Amino acid sequence: MINLYLCLFKEFIQIGLFSFGGGYATLPFLFDITKHYSWYSPQELTQMIAVATITPGPVGINVATYAGMKAGGVLTALFATFSEVLPALIIGILVAKLLKKFSDNFYVQSALWALKPVSCALLSVVAVNLFKQNIIHCANIAFGWSLFSMLLLVSLLRNKDPLWYISISAIAGIMLILLA
Amino acid sequence: MEKEVNITDIFLAFLKAGLILLGGGYIILPILQSEIVDKRKWLTSEELTDYYALSQSLPGLIAINISILVGYKLRGKWGAIAGVLGITFFAFWAIVIFSSVFTQFASNKYVQGAFLGIGIAVVVLIISAVREMWNKAVKGFDSIVLFILAFLIMLNTDISPAVVIISAIPIGILWNLIKQRRMND
Repeated sequence: MINLYLCLFKEFIQIGLFSFGGGYATLPFLFDITKHYSWYSPQELTQMIAVATITPGPVGINVATYAGMKAGGVLTALFATFSEVLPALIIGILVAKLLKKFSDNFYVQSALWALKPVSCALLSVVAVNLFKQNIIHCANIAFGWSLFSMLLLVSLLRNKDPLWYISISAIAGIMLILLA
Repeated sequence: MEKEVNITDIFLAFLKAGLILLGGGYIILPILQSEIVDKRKWLTSEELTDYYALSQSLPGLIAINISILVGYKLRGKWGAIAGVLGITFFAFWAIVIFSSVFTQFASNKYVQGAFLGIGIAVVVLIISAVREMWNKAVKGFDSIVLFILAFLIMLNTDISPAVVIISAIPIGILWNLIKQRRMND
């Protein structure tokens, strides 16, 4: 029991400390968790990301809460979310007074110069893994590839709301069942 | 300085921002601009922009960081806590309620069909997020090398993302020091 809380603390404080670039930047860490714990599977993580995208509030908080719910219940969810936010609370209070001095600092800028492409690379690996899982290993290959290419094309051409992608693909998935 | 801002009002302002916030952290800035700057006049537009820049320089979620910084600016530690509680409230309870109810429908075949499609949308959304991050972060040959290195390490080894991130910090500082010295010579 205490062990579960320790593991949650260790994993989620890491997310709070080492993710750079907003909600989706936490995904490499949540994916890494599936390798070490059986709280949720990579398949479930896809669902969690989708639900996080369509529910109110920061996506990073939504997925952390969801992961915590999967690991136990409301209490573990609260604890996971708290652990993820804790570093920001401490660092934010310490840094708030420095403001511009911090953002403009040479060392901070240099660290961020490296952190941003690396965070981007970490998220790309999540994209590759989820691509294998949801398109290459899709239960219906033709459906997977055609929906994927259509949505990707739309995303390259226009800036649509994430809700649009989720709704269209949900409808497409339900149609597939109805027509089968 | 004007009249002190009430802690409850800070909580309520961020509670509202958290409810409006849907999908992706980048939308937080216009929401706070309207709630905190235009409507409540707690900060100037410039102050908010500075806090936003700082939020992106700090680890963790951008929306959380900016709530903490703005809350702290308005009422110190308790203001920061009120900001976090406000912005996370709906995010937390929406998931708690959804995940409790969802288990009853998870095995329904239409729900499974919907999630078969949604899984594909999630991949496209993540690809878009990667493209957005790439456009902002990857400039110049050296950062492309860094990207490729991190990508290959994460794809082919079991090294944790935290270790990759921590290693990037000294690399970035050393490399920029070298670049700076070269420019000065």
